Amino acid sequence: MSTSTVAAPNMVVRGLKDLSIRFLYGFGFLIVLILVWEWATVAVPSLFFPPPSRILRTSMELFFSGSPAHLFLTEAITVDVAGTVSRMLLGFIIGSTVGILAGTAIGRSMILRELTDPNVEFLRSIPATATLPLFIILLGGDDGMRIAFIAYAVMWFVLINTTSGVASIHRTLIDTAHTFRIGRIKTLFRVIIPAAMPRIFAGLRIGSTVSLLAAIVSELMLATNGIGHRLILAQNMFKMADLWSWLVLLAILGFLLNTLMEVIERKVLAWDSLARSQE
Amino acid sequence: MTINTPLTDNELILDVANVGHTYGNGETAYRAIHDLSFSISTGELVSIVGPSGAGKTTLLRILAGLLTPSQGSVSLLGKKVTGVPEGMAMVFQDYSRSLLPWLRVEKNVLFPLSTETGSKEERQRLSREALHAVGLDGHEHKYPWQLSGGMQQRVAIARALAYRPRLLLMDEPFASVDAQTRSGLEDLVLRIRAEYGMTILFVTHDIDESVYLADRVLVLSKPPATLVEDVHIALPSPRDQISTKEDPEFVHLRGHVARLIRAGGPVPAAIKD
Repeated sequence: MSTSTVAAPNMVVRGLKDLSIRFLYGFGFLIVLILVWEWATVAVPSLFFPPPSRILRTSMELFFSGSPAHLFLTEAITVDVAGTVSRMLLGFIIGSTVGILAGTAIGRSMILRELTDPNVEFLRSIPATATLPLFIILLGGDDGMRIAFIAYAVMWFVLINTTSGVASIHRTLIDTAHTFRIGRIKTLFRVIIPAAMPRIFAGLRIGSTVSLLAAIVSELMLATNGIGHRLILAQNMFKMADLWSWLVLLAILGFLLNTLMEVIERKVLAWDSLARSQE
Repeated sequence: MTINTPLTDNELILDVANVGHTYGNGETAYRAIHDLSFSISTGELVSIVGPSGAGKTTLLRILAGLLTPSQGSVSLLGKKVTGVPEGMAMVFQDYSRSLLPWLRVEKNVLFPLSTETGSKEERQRLSREALHAVGLDGHEHKYPWQLSGGMQQRVAIARALAYRPRLLLMDEPFASVDAQTRSGLEDLVLRIRAEYGMTILFVTHDIDESVYLADRVLVLSKPPATLVEDVHIALPSPRDQISTKEDPEFVHLRGHVARLIRAGGPVPAAIKD
């Protein structure tokens, strides 16, 4: 079999190469778009759409005009961006953990699945963002509430994917673990969860996007810091260049988050994509 | 553990007494096995053959402790089987679903071995020995899915060997590989049986395979499965794919087993309910 000699690193290198070529094309087109925008807004000035050059100047001022002691980072970065990102990460970690554990329990038990299925379907139909007012009443307006809200929003996607991943594990695999008398804990962490990992990761990927979304939404009300809070401030003071600067920063943040998830997935699930490529 | 104490031949290892199994109840009840009794002694290679859908898989799941029979009992090494017993390993037909695709070959073989089996060095020695016994030296660091079907099943066999079971159950292990690979794997079973002194229960629907491998062939009837005949196979060892199969005794035995299966067995009127 000639394919049996394909080594894992080659695939990863090829994957990264594909990724960078894709990135270059996309990036080239983005530059063209920015140039068109610049030209159009200089030709016909608009109050709402400042030229990219001005957004860039405002961004530099907003984010990188701090004291040398803070590596020139302003409070917008050290307080607002750091606040949003840390709450987002915490919420993501808590929500994913709960989702994986509950999803595994539900996926393993037919009875639990029949009991929870309609409830899960019903509850997850409520747009998570709509539950923010409820979270505020129940938990107050502090960071704990925001983290709980993000975790809640993330949890559904991880839970549903984990449940279906675990439920679809073939009986032979479980029987194999049983006949070798593998303990419950080892079976859970070294057989069931790895076997469901491709599906779990699909949930984590959506969850990571949702965590940023929920983090921003949670800061639109009662916040004292965070990117969402700064967006509202810019809106209230009609600082259009500030507003655009924050949006550009969010785009970069979201892009970095996706790339990070993709890199982790390539590493953790290398066996899965390689196994598929041989089928 | 009793696993490492040598046993003399002809000691009773597996005893199946009046086992019966019915799935479900009421009108939808399906009776898979009816009053089945047999026993296996140490060092024997016994094959079980029967028409497809004859409850062979149900029987194996009961023997492996994965399923509790509705009637009767199973004892392994004198102890009644209530859960999955110690000292038993199973090789499944569906090797690609039995091996862990995220672990390399060596890690798959090491996977069932715990600290109870021995030190890390001891476990690695067992794994290397087992992989050598199935002829997979040099493939330790490949993933299972990089290997052909026959090689994957050899990994599964090595994994069972390294576990050092007293009884090895094989559930139609070669049903999904091509004929050439199949005869090679049959001879592998005979070789490891001689090398490891393993007691093996081999379930198959292939009559030639059942006769070629075994000391005894247990022929099952159509469901509800019961024992039709315990056929003693008096063929000389070592066996050979060509000369053994030319032996008039082999030809006679496979014909005999085939007739028993075609007849579906002399089903007593009492169980035709």
